[in-house]
Amino acid sequence: MEPQRNTNATLVDLLDRVLDKGLVIHADLIVSVAGIPLIGVNLRAALAGMETMLKYGIMQAWDERIRAWERNYRSKKESSLIQGEEIILRMLGSYYSSKGIYTAWRYGHFYLTTDRLLLYHGDFGEVLFETPLEKIKVLVIRKAKHFTEKEREELCLLLEGNKVARLSALDVNQLKEAIEKRMKELGLALEQDPALPAFEERAAEFLAEGERVICSGKMWYLMDSEGITDSAWSPGYLYLTDKRLCWWYDFEQRLPLEIPTGDLLTFARETRDLSPGLKKKKVLDVIYAVNGTRRLASFSGDALEEWDQILKSIITGRGVSPIDEETETCPQCGRTASIKELLEQGCPRCGWVSPKMEKAVVSG
Amino acid sequence: MTTRPLPDNGSPPDPRTSDPDSASNSSGRYVYCIVKGSEPVNLGRIGIEGNEVYTIPYNDLCALVHSCPPEPYQSQDQEIVKGWIVTHQKVVDAAWERFGIVLPMGFDTIIRCNKVSDPEENMRRWLKEDYGNLKAKMDKVRGRAEYGVQVFWDSRVMAQKITEESLEIKKLEEEVKSKPRGLAYMYRQKLENLLKKEMEKQADRYFKEFYERIKQYVDDLRVDKTKKAEDENKLMLMNLSCLLPKGGSKRLGYELEKIDALEGFSVRFTGPWPPYSFV
Repeated sequence: MEPQRNTNATLVDLLDRVLDKGLVIHADLIVSVAGIPLIGVNLRAALAGMETMLKYGIMQAWDERIRAWERNYRSKKESSLIQGEEIILRMLGSYYSSKGIYTAWRYGHFYLTTDRLLLYHGDFGEVLFETPLEKIKVLVIRKAKHFTEKEREELCLLLEGNKVARLSALDVNQLKEAIEKRMKELGLALEQDPALPAFEERAAEFLAEGERVICSGKMWYLMDSEGITDSAWSPGYLYLTDKRLCWWYDFEQRLPLEIPTGDLLTFARETRDLSPGLKKKKVLDVIYAVNGTRRLASFSGDALEEWDQILKSIITGRGVSPIDEETETCPQCGRTASIKELLEQGCPRCGWVSPKMEKAVVSG
Repeated sequence: MTTRPLPDNGSPPDPRTSDPDSASNSSGRYVYCIVKGSEPVNLGRIGIEGNEVYTIPYNDLCALVHSCPPEPYQSQDQEIVKGWIVTHQKVVDAAWERFGIVLPMGFDTIIRCNKVSDPEENMRRWLKEDYGNLKAKMDKVRGRAEYGVQVFWDSRVMAQKITEESLEIKKLEEEVKSKPRGLAYMYRQKLENLLKKEMEKQADRYFKEFYERIKQYVDDLRVDKTKKAEDENKLMLMNLSCLLPKGGSKRLGYELEKIDALEGFSVRFTGPWPPYSFV
């Protein structure tokens, strides 16, 4: 293997050396160079491509030349967006975005390319939704009612990492078929489990963007009395996500119960009679806090032992000391490791030790 | 013969009356590198912004500089900064050619004058004070160059291998199959974490192995921080700077080919560079 030196690619290697290394002269003789790291980082970003720079969110005061470049770039983005990929299908459509307080259907054009599916709004130059095809696990069409609008069909995607995406389009069936066809060509398998789509559709109703379902299952819940009806055991689905524990009441298509995981206090299992007709049923009682008062939520159903385990790990897991969990990168090689490990044992990869530890070893 | 740029008359400017807007001031010296030599030499206008590059000797060492205002070169325009850096490197390269040994400085190393002496004096004083250290460094890098070695691995290939070979992961996969559907998600999360931990451990093992192998073919080496690759599946496992005889990289190259040939691994070999990491 021969070493390379004067190619475009090696410019970054040169930069790294000229900007970060070299013989150092001591402070009192040299002019302050406080501004340098910023130039270094920006320049590296510029070499890696403007897109990388935007991705890393480097804030700087851009002069007019760069601002103009960005305007031009955005208007050209559509054509460069799909460089190297073939467009299989283009269709008007929308994506249900629940980011923060702005929940709405956002419109654009779907582009199904040879490698991915994206929703693009040409006028704003914005990619509203994007996924590589290999990250799609489940594709299902379901009927949904939208407020007072008549029923329409939606395409729901379950993506890697348990993310759910709800899409609508001029012809969802055509879109679904096209995606399936291309995925088949790529040798990508879609999960065929029929029950799986069922409760993920439900989750799509209330999951926030980026929220992940950790576990879920059918569960009866003792719903509070509301007005004239007594509290009653009702069938539904219990979901534990990375942010909350919630129960979905299918019949009314809503979430009567929602507990942020931080508010979970404790829980217990026992067997008791739920009603004259339902004797000796296994029940899971969960105690949680609402504005300083304690409340009780009772559930009954299958797999209570496993729910027990999961809730236990969530509640006791909170007691883990932050130092153990927090990670840092090794200043020498960049490997991520827990701060505790880095300080107490050194880097497990390159062997770097903190100066404090070095001193201790030498004197100890 | 040394030709000095005109504005500097050799005496230190009075700091009390120094113009803060020092664009016309040339009381700074931009240092490119330290070279072996005892004569004042002028290399011509090859420096940044077309400045004349010349040497300031002390004993048998020289600093290679150009005169400039005592402030760092800065710009928001990336193209301009890129140009400066390339010029800096060109000057260091020229010095390397001409003088044989260089101790390169990083970009924007600028000596200023202080209340007592002018920048030339400061330079000579520093060369004198650090003489022993600088000579030792010269000996270390004589006839040698720096080469960059980066090893990448394909995270998908590695994940596949680990999944196939780890008993713990296989056990967990079996368990997932028997769990009620809802709970399968939690177990999958556990699996992901386990896989991630195993990959880190495996990476550590490979790092140590490759380090030991590469060490045999170099005079010295430094571990540098790994960087993000453009491709999200390719991860940089190690980033090294190696010091070895200039032009003598054949054996190292051969060893790197062996590593590159391993399934899932790829190697980037760059250089020869002046020994930035070893001064």
